[in-house]
Amino acid sequence: MKHESIEINSGLLIVLTLAVISIGGLVEIVPLFHIEETVEDVDGVRPYTPLELRGRDIYVREGCYTCHSQMIRPFRDEQLRYGHYSLAAESQYDHPFQWGSKRTGPDLARVGGKYSNEWQTQHLVDPQSLVPESIMPGYPWLLENELDYSQIEDRMVALKRVGVPYSRSQEEYDANVEQFGADMADQLHVGNATEVLKSQAGAQNWDGDPNRITEMDALVAYLQMLGTMVDFSKYEDGHFNQFR
Amino acid sequence: MSTTTASVATEQYNYGIVKKFAIMAMIWGVLGMLAGVYIASELAWPFLNFNIAEITFGRLRPVHTTLVIFGFGGSALFATSYYIVQRTCQARLWGGKLLPELTFWGWQLALVLGVITYMAGYTQGREYAEFVWPIDLLIAVVWVLYFAVYAMTLVKRSQPHIYVANWFFMGYILAVALLHIFNNLQVPVAWNSLESYALFGGVQDAMTQWWYGHNAVGFYLTVSFLGMMYYFVPKQAGRPIYSYRLSIVHFWALSFLYMWVGAHHLHWTALPDWVSTLAAAFSILLLLPSWGGMINGIMTLSGAWEKLRTDPIMLFLITALAFYGMSTFEGPMMSLKSVNALSHYTDWTIGHVHSGALGWVAMITIGSFYHLIPRLWGTTLYSTKLVFVHFWLATIGVVLYIVALWVAGIGQGLMLRAFDQYGNLAYTFIETVSFLHIPYVVRAIGGAFFLSGMLLMSYNIYMTISGARQPASDEGRDAVAAAAR
Amino acid sequence: MIGDIFAWLGDMENSKPLALILFFSTFVGIILYVYTGKKRKQRLESYKDIPFMDDDELDPTHEKKQQVKKDESNGK
Repeated sequence: MKHESIEINSGLLIVLTLAVISIGGLVEIVPLFHIEETVEDVDGVRPYTPLELRGRDIYVREGCYTCHSQMIRPFRDEQLRYGHYSLAAESQYDHPFQWGSKRTGPDLARVGGKYSNEWQTQHLVDPQSLVPESIMPGYPWLLENELDYSQIEDRMVALKRVGVPYSRSQEEYDANVEQFGADMADQLHVGNATEVLKSQAGAQNWDGDPNRITEMDALVAYLQMLGTMVDFSKYEDGHFNQFR
Repeated sequence: MSTTTASVATEQYNYGIVKKFAIMAMIWGVLGMLAGVYIASELAWPFLNFNIAEITFGRLRPVHTTLVIFGFGGSALFATSYYIVQRTCQARLWGGKLLPELTFWGWQLALVLGVITYMAGYTQGREYAEFVWPIDLLIAVVWVLYFAVYAMTLVKRSQPHIYVANWFFMGYILAVALLHIFNNLQVPVAWNSLESYALFGGVQDAMTQWWYGHNAVGFYLTVSFLGMMYYFVPKQAGRPIYSYRLSIVHFWALSFLYMWVGAHHLHWTALPDWVSTLAAAFSILLLLPSWGGMINGIMTLSGAWEKLRTDPIMLFLITALAFYGMSTFEGPMMSLKSVNALSHYTDWTIGHVHSGALGWVAMITIGSFYHLIPRLWGTTLYSTKLVFVHFWLATIGVVLYIVALWVAGIGQGLMLRAFDQYGNLAYTFIETVSFLHIPYVVRAIGGAFFLSGMLLMSYNIYMTISGARQPASDEGRDAVAAAAR
Repeated sequence: MIGDIFAWLGDMENSKPLALILFFSTFVGIILYVYTGKKRKQRLESYKDIPFMDDDELDPTHEKKQQVKKDESNGK
């Protein structure tokens, strides 16, 4: 075949260009779905509870990822500042991933439990009242807006479709009991979603007002669980290096 | 005589659609850069968020990126690709009046809906692919139409050889189709909900997104604008491209190599090491065709360098190529894992993107438009002097911007990894944020310089077009021709 | 012997060197194609004039060229 025939045949030019541009993506992306070490097998990683899920939706909605990463790299300074480096397993139920690309603010991958609920709420409403030099916007409307959880079941079903193990059948529920324990399996059952969400919102005083379920409740619940799923004290130092 | 030839050209070619896209490119450019200056100012003076949800940084940033990439860049690409394909194929645009019009209205609708939904808080949470799923579908339809119009115009050309600029445009159309489809695979919450969840999750989703994200830069903002370069640089210089053979090698090498490098955005993350090493290696290789293309463009002017003194349009085009060369050197350097450890997550990346986006993409577009618009309306430019002023505003703006963010990025990177004598962290995160204030102010000023240049250009173009509406007297034309001599 | 070659080709472990050889030889092929042959050089380089083949418009530089040509012919 002569190159000239490409130059004068638009169909051929299209086909060859398509072939050439497809190779790179195929070689790099497809194996990630097949190589087992891509995502480590780690105890403790579980899907989000209904309240945390709604919190995560709000995190995405407000574009938090434009300033905060959720991916700690294996460097000494990051380990001291944020904690153990992030594992692929820890974001395996994240659709979409929120690793981020820019740290205008600090990394949030392990922010859970670092501050109290009151601190988080106050900081989200008026960041400068706690950190005067902060350049983060305030989010006072999160405290005003009632949380919309009318579609919580649809949301869990949609996530189930993309592979997150929420349960609908007894069989799936039993599998979750096996993997995550009975208490968590109850919370991951689609049929219980509304009830579970309400009780989790009431169980802890996330936003300081126990009478209403606000968007702040959901977001703080999500932030407080970030990075807390894996108990690193259970693993030897360097255990996770084999997966890198 | 000149008016008759102009009208023949208008009949032979579909210029109406080119004009529409060109004007919208200017409008979106001004709006998108205005949004950019605003969010840059929010980082310098956070009170500008005003506790209003719709204009907080997190919601406005996608408005900025979408308007400049898809609004300004996209409309400019539609305009120039439709112009170039007709003129180098010597064929009228395929699809009658209707199909090109549909690509125009579909594209503008997607942009308007995008801005509204972002500000209302609807986003997919994927950088540069924030459009919600119904808008993604609209874009997919528009893109298929675009492909059809473009490819069918190539098929019915009367020129046997397909000029290389069209290869670059074809490559970009195909690549963007591929990227757009695979990066926007979503499962909606409900058929009547704007919200959806990504089909892929975690590390696979990250890889897909940055395969998209980097190739949006590679194909949407580079390969396509090289198509623009391969037409408008020779036209404005009045001499053919330096080496046609080099342009062929440039095209195939770039198309092949770009798709491998996306993972350099994920160095040191939970992505397996082999992928990011591969991406780094290909990023280095990419330097060669990039510089080959830059040299090809700049050398077109060899023997006519004096044009740089007299022709501000040429100045724009050649400076754009210089910035292209600079950012395609900086990019591979930043993709080295050791450099990336410092630069990633900092403003250095933002500065790098803008040396490409403002220095290369915007400047090549501005130069091309100053060439294109008088020809579309069959007139001459209102003021060449204003083009000179614009050039200096733009150049000063880009330089301020890049330098400020080098200081910000490298400075913050070094502070974050500094230890004191006892092995503790030397700085808290918030101390680095305070350090960023002055660079952020300078960056916002740099952006404002660039924006003011765009406003000046809009005025110049407005006067050019409105001048063309009134039939100029013969003396006026002669005077212009004399001035050109 | 031939069987050995096929075994080597079929082993996924060897896919990387194999891909390298394939892509690199394609690249070298393109370079050789583009930069060899006088005729081909002339043909390829002739295409760079395509953007100038429809100069029928109001182009100041073009008018200037025509003017120069006219002047030359008048001079002769």
